Amino acid sequence: MTFKSLMNNVLFVEIVKGLKVTFGHFFKKTLTVQYPHEKLTLADGYRGFIVHRRYENGQERCVGCDLCEAICPAKAIRVVGDIHPEFPERRYAKEYTLDFTRCIFCGFCVVACPVNALSMTKEFAHSSFTREGLIYPKEKLLALGDRCEDESIAYLKVRNMWGAEDSGKEEGRYHFPPISTTQSGG
Amino acid sequence: MAKVTINGIEVDVDPSMTILKAAEKAGIPVPTFCYHPRMDPAGSCRICAVELEDSKKVVMSCVTPVSDGMRVLTESPKIHEARKTNLELLLLHHPLDCPVCDCGGECPLQNMSFAYGATESRFESHRNDEPEDMKSDVLVFNANRCILCGKCVRICDEIQDVHAIGFINRGFDTIIGPPLGKKLDCEFCGDCLEVCPTGAITDHFVRYKYRPWQLEKQQTTCSYCPSGCQMFVETENEAIVRVTSQEGVGPNEGSICAVGRFGFNHVQIPERFDTPYMRSLHRLVPSSWDEVLPEIASQLNAIRKKGVDRIAGLISNRVPMEDAYVFQSFFRKTLHSNMIDTGSRYSFMNAALPIVDATGTLRPLVDHEDILKAKVILVIGADPVSESNITGLFAKRAARKERSRLYVVDSEAITLSNRAKDHIRIHPGGEQIFLDVLSEEIRDSQNMTPEWISRKEELFKNWNVDPSAYQRLLNDLKSAETGVIIAGRKLFRIETPVSGVEALLRITGDLGWIDRAGCGLFVLPEAANDLGVLMMGASYEWLPGLMDSSDKSSKGRWEEAWGGRLSYGPGGGLDAILKGIDEGRINALISLGENPIGHFPVGSRVREILSKLDLIISIDMFQNDLSDMAHFVLPVASAYERSGHLVSAEGFVQPIKPTMAYWGESLPDWQILDRISTAMGNPMGIESAEGVMAEIVRFLPDLSPSSRNGSHFVGGTGEIHLATPVVFPGILSSPKSIQAGTALPAAHKANRESVSSRYLGWREKAKEKSGIPAHPIAGEGEFVLELTKSLFHSGKMTLIDSNLKKIQPEGKLRINRQTARKRKIKKGEQVVLRTTFGTCSFVVEPSPAVSEFELTFPVHFANGQVLGLFAPDLEFSAGTGSPVTHRIRVSLETQNAN
Repeated sequence: MTFKSLMNNVLFVEIVKGLKVTFGHFFKKTLTVQYPHEKLTLADGYRGFIVHRRYENGQERCVGCDLCEAICPAKAIRVVGDIHPEFPERRYAKEYTLDFTRCIFCGFCVVACPVNALSMTKEFAHSSFTREGLIYPKEKLLALGDRCEDESIAYLKVRNMWGAEDSGKEEGRYHFPPISTTQSGG
Repeated sequence: MAKVTINGIEVDVDPSMTILKAAEKAGIPVPTFCYHPRMDPAGSCRICAVELEDSKKVVMSCVTPVSDGMRVLTESPKIHEARKTNLELLLLHHPLDCPVCDCGGECPLQNMSFAYGATESRFESHRNDEPEDMKSDVLVFNANRCILCGKCVRICDEIQDVHAIGFINRGFDTIIGPPLGKKLDCEFCGDCLEVCPTGAITDHFVRYKYRPWQLEKQQTTCSYCPSGCQMFVETENEAIVRVTSQEGVGPNEGSICAVGRFGFNHVQIPERFDTPYMRSLHRLVPSSWDEVLPEIASQLNAIRKKGVDRIAGLISNRVPMEDAYVFQSFFRKTLHSNMIDTGSRYSFMNAALPIVDATGTLRPLVDHEDILKAKVILVIGADPVSESNITGLFAKRAARKERSRLYVVDSEAITLSNRAKDHIRIHPGGEQIFLDVLSEEIRDSQNMTPEWISRKEELFKNWNVDPSAYQRLLNDLKSAETGVIIAGRKLFRIETPVSGVEALLRITGDLGWIDRAGCGLFVLPEAANDLGVLMMGASYEWLPGLMDSSDKSSKGRWEEAWGGRLSYGPGGGLDAILKGIDEGRINALISLGENPIGHFPVGSRVREILSKLDLIISIDMFQNDLSDMAHFVLPVASAYERSGHLVSAEGFVQPIKPTMAYWGESLPDWQILDRISTAMGNPMGIESAEGVMAEIVRFLPDLSPSSRNGSHFVGGTGEIHLATPVVFPGILSSPKSIQAGTALPAAHKANRESVSSRYLGWREKAKEKSGIPAHPIAGEGEFVLELTKSLFHSGKMTLIDSNLKKIQPEGKLRINRQTARKRKIKKGEQVVLRTTFGTCSFVVEPSPAVSEFELTFPVHFANGQVLGLFAPDLEFSAGTGSPVTHRIRVSLETQNAN
């Protein structure tokens, strides 16, 4: 045993070295997030829960075109299209169910949507005690969309999907029967 | 022949052919929008452009005829550019609403734009913003999506001959729609919907409810009328979404009528029986097969022990051949009863009996192609368009395009009379005397007895027959090389239908048509499988193969075939069944989709008679009068759910295929009978409908599946079966020899040689009989009420179909427009009809089509009240045993009169 090593043993140098990291953290900014009480700031492009969006007049955007159902790789979406009960020239989704137990949050549906009716939010912590609780009908998706409107807009913008339709131009990517601005509800 | 080189491939074609057809022959696809193989070329879409190699010119292949030595390129940079520019121009005003367009996903315009990369237009224009025309209850016209190819207008003109839609306005404002901005009023065949290459024409029933890629397609045969249309039933999640057709497929060549295209919704409504029901304490209670079958079996066993012919059976004339075959063998083998009858009894039997008597077969001598080629066509007592739509289309086409001389003998102006050379508007009741005189004159016009001459004069004087038109018809019939006589429902329901059909048979024979190819009598059965059900021996007269059931030798042959003794009694038809029940000789009735109560007046004793039965088993889809009385109600699978074969009016044996799962616990008829038989201790050992068909084909090889385009041949010998003597290769020779002969096409038409030899014998026996002449109408305010078939319904089953109910919601009494004006009856008013037997009120619809002596009412809507106008005593015609409730004299009273 050399003197150096003896001194190391006597003075607990190794321990001090080890604890240096520990004590060093006392003076650094904390990284741990106290999750339910604190939340991280998520990026705008975060692919969280999918929501349904509305037009400014409150009309739901979804036209029930089934393209999201067609592209969904996990077969999580089911759309039943029908004639709009108020406007017989318009198509709408009579039923729209999104099964979040199957959803893989790939965001393809949002890309496929021709009317920007779908978007993703920063919501991620929806849980349920039953499987059925995670199968969202249209109403629930719309309610979620209303709650997270800013997030859904931000997602579309950051993903370059905020096209002509949403920028207020008359002619969008697709030409639909014009939505009357006086009509509300939906 | 012209030699044409297309993309380096050399083909020899007829010089009258267009480049497009030559390319088709060479197997080179050329894109098209406005081209349609059944119609004249229009050359309006400019997408079929091809390049001529020598002149470097771009021409439209659908309108340019070939010339010898022509060298054509269908794909080149120049053509690609031309087509792309064209697409850009087509897309100029086309809205990009593919996500909500029903056509998106199966749209030729979409596919073509994708293929040619026409993503951006170099031209600037506005998008059309025309509101959709939704006035019609059936079709929706979206002018924005229209590319003005004109296919819809042309199919309506050239194929359907209806002329309901046309081009409106000029230039950029051109739209397609019914004239003068009116509501669409047509036959609602939906052919325009079918041919539209974009989503410009859609229908209200399935609009926005599907996307094409979600649907599963299954080809099947329509089970409504005897045309035997091949249609494609498209389903999603075991529910029928729509019915489409495909160009050139089946005898219909891609056309279907309104009933076939839209009448599919009634099989998927909650009112349908989905489980067996059993009567307990005077109420029908839902039960299960396991509970019901032993109960039925023990009751049937008890009745069977009492003797032969104790159990009666009725079968619908719409069920597949397999079910009819199992039905008759179940009755004859297991229940020892020959008391069986079919729905054909109500009318078609009146034609089937004399025709089998004279020709030995129910197969027709002519088919639709012969109608098309016929130089003269006589339509008597039939409305082919509503009874067998495709026959009507062929007759229209023959008259319009092939310049056939078409004669219509009918009191009513039917659709075909527009195209007729002469429409002889004979007074109702005069058909028999007309046919008798015509037959006598054709037999020997030189030596007509004074009696016949006076009858001929009576025909001209009393029955509104124009002598010159009559003479023209006579001359044309005699001189024409080929000719077809079409007879239908109306003729089978005249006062003396058998004499009428016999007169027609005499006429065809005396004209020499029996031996001449392309000539003959074409009868229109009433339902999809009248021919098949009768050929399968589901009526008491015949064993399968139209063999006489009372004949010992033919019975012996079937005993040999089935390997067991047949111990049934003499049996009887509907009349004998009702009489037998009344007298207590029949104790049980099994009905497969038949409701005898609905066919008789409300005051008749049928209900009372049927209530004497110890056991009624109703095998049906919906609640009806009989199921209300039944002790057991068994749910049956619909034609969209089961498999089987139907025999069309042309004699094609075509398959129906399952398109969705059995509704609830319902089963096909054969399986229900098989289960009952097994529960009774006599298992029939049937495993599948295919197995039954295999047995049928083994014994009766000429009934192998057949079709015009030959897409589903199984094979056959092409022999016909005569009632006596019987050709029976399946048993007497080895069955293998038949299987080996699969290359032979199955004949759908009768063999002329064998028909001819039998016919000669019949003609010797058939004296110049004449029917009892009806009395012409004399009295003022007296009419003849006729129950006619509507174009928009088939039987009573479709009345609950939500789609067809939208097209024709109620039955209206049609009255001559002038008579209505004279009597101050307005459209929609109520009138009362009175006969000695009863009264009934109707809503009136004045129409120029009806003659001044008659009133017509759609038979589908004829409930007990309407039938109450007819004699309530159960009257059956002597020769054929069919009930006589078809037309009657009525007096008309307006409600506010006096």
